[in-house]
Amino acid sequence: MNICNSILISFFLIISNLYSIEFDERHFPIQDAGRIKPLDTFARNQLLAIYGKRSLKHENLSAIDWIFNLILEPEKMQELTKVFNIRSPEVVASLGLEWTNNDHKYVFNDVFSGLNSQVGLINDIRNKPDEIHINFEKQLLEVYFNASRFNEIAYSLSCLTPSVIINDPFLAEKLNSIPGKRTSYFQLIKYLPSISTMYRNMMEKNEEEWSETENDLINILLQLQNISSKESAQILKIIPPSKLDKTGEWLSPWELMDGESHEPHQDKILFALEKYLAGRYEGDKNAMILAIKEYKKGLLSFPNSKADLNLLEKETWMNEANLFYISVAFYLLSFILLGISWMIIPKWLKIASYGSLLFGLFYHSYGIYLRIIIMSRPPVSTLYETIIFVGFIVVIFSVAIEFLRRDGLGLFIGSVSGTILHYISFGYAADGDTLEILVAVLNSNFWLATHVTTIVIGYGSSLVAGFIGHLYLIAAIRRPENTSLLKSINKNLFGVTLIALFFALFGTILGGIWADQSWGRFWGWDPKENGALMIVLWQLMMIHMRLTGLAKPTGFALGMIMNNIVVAFAWFGVNLLNVGLHSYGFTSGVATNLVIFVIFELIAGFGTYYWAKSRKV
Amino acid sequence: MKKMITIISHPKIFVYTVIWLMVLTVLGTIAQRDIGLYASQQKFFSSYITWFKDSIPMPGGRLTMIVILANLMSMLFKPNIWKLKKIGIIIVHIGAVLLFIGAGVTAIFSYEGNVVIKEGSQSNHMSDYHNMELAIVNTSKIDFNEYTVFDQPLLIKGSKLEHESLGFTVEIMEYYNNCQVVRRVEPLENPYEGMLRNFDIIELNLEKENTQNRSGIIFKISKIDHNKDGIFGLVLGQPVTQTATINNQKFDFLFQKKRTYLPFSIELLDFKKVLHPGTNIAKSFSSEINLIENGVPRRVIIKMNEPLRHRGYTFFQASFIEDQEGESTVLATVKNYGRLFPYVSSIIMALGLLMHLFINLPNLLRK
Repeated sequence: MNICNSILISFFLIISNLYSIEFDERHFPIQDAGRIKPLDTFARNQLLAIYGKRSLKHENLSAIDWIFNLILEPEKMQELTKVFNIRSPEVVASLGLEWTNNDHKYVFNDVFSGLNSQVGLINDIRNKPDEIHINFEKQLLEVYFNASRFNEIAYSLSCLTPSVIINDPFLAEKLNSIPGKRTSYFQLIKYLPSISTMYRNMMEKNEEEWSETENDLINILLQLQNISSKESAQILKIIPPSKLDKTGEWLSPWELMDGESHEPHQDKILFALEKYLAGRYEGDKNAMILAIKEYKKGLLSFPNSKADLNLLEKETWMNEANLFYISVAFYLLSFILLGISWMIIPKWLKIASYGSLLFGLFYHSYGIYLRIIIMSRPPVSTLYETIIFVGFIVVIFSVAIEFLRRDGLGLFIGSVSGTILHYISFGYAADGDTLEILVAVLNSNFWLATHVTTIVIGYGSSLVAGFIGHLYLIAAIRRPENTSLLKSINKNLFGVTLIALFFALFGTILGGIWADQSWGRFWGWDPKENGALMIVLWQLMMIHMRLTGLAKPTGFALGMIMNNIVVAFAWFGVNLLNVGLHSYGFTSGVATNLVIFVIFELIAGFGTYYWAKSRKV
Repeated sequence: MKKMITIISHPKIFVYTVIWLMVLTVLGTIAQRDIGLYASQQKFFSSYITWFKDSIPMPGGRLTMIVILANLMSMLFKPNIWKLKKIGIIIVHIGAVLLFIGAGVTAIFSYEGNVVIKEGSQSNHMSDYHNMELAIVNTSKIDFNEYTVFDQPLLIKGSKLEHESLGFTVEIMEYYNNCQVVRRVEPLENPYEGMLRNFDIIELNLEKENTQNRSGIIFKISKIDHNKDGIFGLVLGQPVTQTATINNQKFDFLFQKKRTYLPFSIELLDFKKVLHPGTNIAKSFSSEINLIENGVPRRVIIKMNEPLRHRGYTFFQASFIEDQEGESTVLATVKNYGRLFPYVSSIIMALGLLMHLFINLPNLLRK
C-alpha cells in the first residue's frame, strides 16, 4: 500500500517536477565535501553517518527537521534524542554505556562523557596510521568523529538563533530589540558599541552599586560571551563567498560575526536565516515563508551565482522520491506477474509483467538522468553508480530480448537481475553521499562518457549472457527433447556474447587510449586493466572454443556462466587487492559477497551442466 | 608450407595460448600485492621466459603474445577464410594483428622517464624511472666539462670500467639496489675518500614500489695520488658532490637516474594545484612552462589529461613535489614510436566487429 502510494505520488511529482517546486529550507545550498548541495542532502548524510538511516525513524523526524531542531535547541537534543547508533558492543563497553540487545542508540551527552573518559585512548589511536587500526579502533574513532560533528552542527548557527532575552526596556532600546523578546547574537553584536560608555561607567563602580539595568547588561554580556565561545563551529558552509574570493570556498555564519556589514548577498542571507530561525522557534509559519523568500532573493543577488537553485530543487526532490526504490518495486512486480503467468492466464499477465518492467525502467532511467543533471557528468564514476548503470543496461537488453522472443525469457532476466543489482546498490548507498566529487585524474567527462560507459555496458551485456547461459542449462534439463527451443536460446546466447565482446573489447581499448592520452602509456598491467582484459580474453576463448568444437552448446553456456565470475572479479575484486588483513566494514562485506557469488555460480553452473549432460537425448 | 600454415593457424592454438595468457594475467595481478607493479610486470609480462618458484621455466608474456601473433597472422593466409560472409571477421583479425605489432614496437623502441623541474628553473633531460648511471665529470677542461657516463648494465659488482678519456680504472666494489646511509662510529682514513670516511652504505631489502628504492654504489679508483687507492661511495639523491683530483685533473662523481637529453629545454614558470573547494581533494594540476628551442621560448600549459607533444616526446602532468624550497613539477615523459597503432587498430577492429554483428545479429537474436 505504502509503495503504491509513493508510486502514485512520485508519478505526479515527476510531472510537476517538469514545472517548478517551491523553494524552502531543504534547498538552502551548502558547500560540503567539495560541492554545493541542498541542506537536505547534507542533513540526510549526517544522520546516516550518526544514526544509520536517512531519517530519525523512532522520533518520526525527517533529516531536515532533525538538523533544525538540533540547531534551535541544542541542549535539549543533546540530552534527550537517542541518535547515536553504536553497533559495536566493544565500543559501547569502552564508553561506559549499557549494551541493550535490540536498541543500541544513545543520547549525545552519554556518548560525550564516555568519550571524555577515553581521551587518552582516542589520542593514541589517532596517532597511529589508518592502515593498522583494528576494527574496534576504527569504530571508536567513527563515534568520536560523529560526536564532534554532531556538536559542531548543533552550534554552527548559534549566532543566528533567538537565544538572548532582554527584559530591561532601556537596554532593549539601545540594542534595537523589543523587551521580553528573544534576539540573536548577530543582532546584538552590531549595537554593542552603543552601550560601551555605559559599560565603562559601570566598570568604575563596585558590583554592589550596579543598578538593575546594569545587572541586566552584565548578564547579557555573559550570555553573548558564552555564545561566542562556540565560534569555531563552522561546519555549515552556507554563505557564498565574497566577489573578490578566488578559492571558491563558502563561509559559515560564524566567519562573518565581526559585527560589520558584508557584501549585500551575504548580509541578506544572514538576515533571512536569522528571521527563519526565529520564525521556526516561535512556530510562526508566515514568518518562515517570508524569511525563505528573502533567503532566495539573497542567493539570487550573489553576483555570479554559483548555486543553481533548479539543481538544488532537483536533488532534494530526488532525495525524497527514492526513484530506485520505485523501480525495484516494479521489477519485483514484473517478476511476480511473470511467475503467476506460468500458472494462469499467461498472455495477459505476461503483457502486464512486460509493462511493469517498462515502468521500472522508466523510473530507473529517470533516476540516472537526474544524477547526470545534478553532477553534470556521466553516470558511471563511482562503484555505486556503475551498479545502477549495469542494472539499467541489463534491463534494456532484457526488454529487447523479450521484444524479439516474446516467451518470457527477457522478462525473467530483466526482472531478476534488475532486482538483484538494485539490492546490491542499496548496500553501497548506505555508505554515505552517493553523489561524490572526483579526483583530478578522473575529472574528464569525455573519457568517463566513452571509456567507462562502454566498459560498464560490457559488464552489463556479459551478465545478460551469463544469465542466458543459466537459462539454457535449465532448459536443457527440463526439456531436453525440445531442440528448437535449445537451439534458439543457444543462438541468442552467442549473439549477446558477441555484443558483450564488442563493448568489453572497445571499453578496454578506449581505456588504453585514455591512459595514453593522459599519462603516456597505453597499457600498464595494473589490476583494473587486467580485470577488463580478463573479460575480453575469456570471451575470446569461449568464442574460439565454440568455433573449434572444443565447447558444445552446453559447454559454451557453462563458459559464459563462468564469465560472470570473471566480470565480478574485474568489477569488484580488483579493489580488494590493495586491502590488507585489516580490512573491515563494507570492503570485507564485498569480499564475502564475492566469495558467496563465486561459490554459487560454480555450484549452479557445474551442477546444471552435468545434470543437463546426463539428460541429453 | 600449406600444411604448416594450417597447423600454426589452428584456432585451438589460440584457445590454449589465450588460456595461458589468462593464467599469466591472474598471477601477474595477484603478485602485484607482494612484489609491486614494476617487478610483477618484468616477471610475468615483459619476459620471454618466466620462472615459477624460481626454478621451473614457463613461457612469459612476450613469448605467449608472439605465439598469438603468429597464429593470428597465419590465419590470414588460409584460403577458405577469404569469403564475403567472413569479411567482418577478417577485418577484426587484421586489426588485432596491428594491435600486437604496435604493442611490440612500443615494448621494444619506446622509452619513458620523467622531468622534474623546480619553479623558476630549467631542465633539458629526462630521467629514467629505473635505470641508473655513473657519470664522471672532468671539470679541469677550459671551455667545457667532459662527461664520461657508464650505464646500468655496466654497474655490476666486480666489473672494471675504463675509458680513454679518463686515464684510470673504476672498479665497482658494491652495487646496491636499495640502501641506506649510516654514520660511522669511528671515521675511517685512507683509502676511504669523501663521504665514506664518515658514513657507511648499508644494503636494504627491496621495496615493493621500485621508485622508493634508493640505489647506492661503492667503487675503487686505483692510484689516484702518490700511488694510493681511493674508495668512494655514492647514493641516489646525494646532496654533496664527491670529487677527486687524479693526475692533476679534477673530477666530479655523479650517481643518478639514467639521463636522456632532449633536443630542447623546459622552464617551469608556475605550478598550479586546484582543490575542490573546502576539501583536500585535488581537482586539477597544471604546469605553466616555457618550451625553449634554439633559445626561443614558447609558453605552454600542461594539464592533467592535456599533455604537451613535441618532436615525438610527450610530457604529462604526473605529479608534483612540495618542500621548503618551493614547488616542483613532475612531468612523465614518453617517446613512443608505436602510439598510433592502437588508435588505428581499434578503429579497424571496431569496424570489423560491427560489420560482423550487422551481418549476423539479426539472425542470432531471433527466436
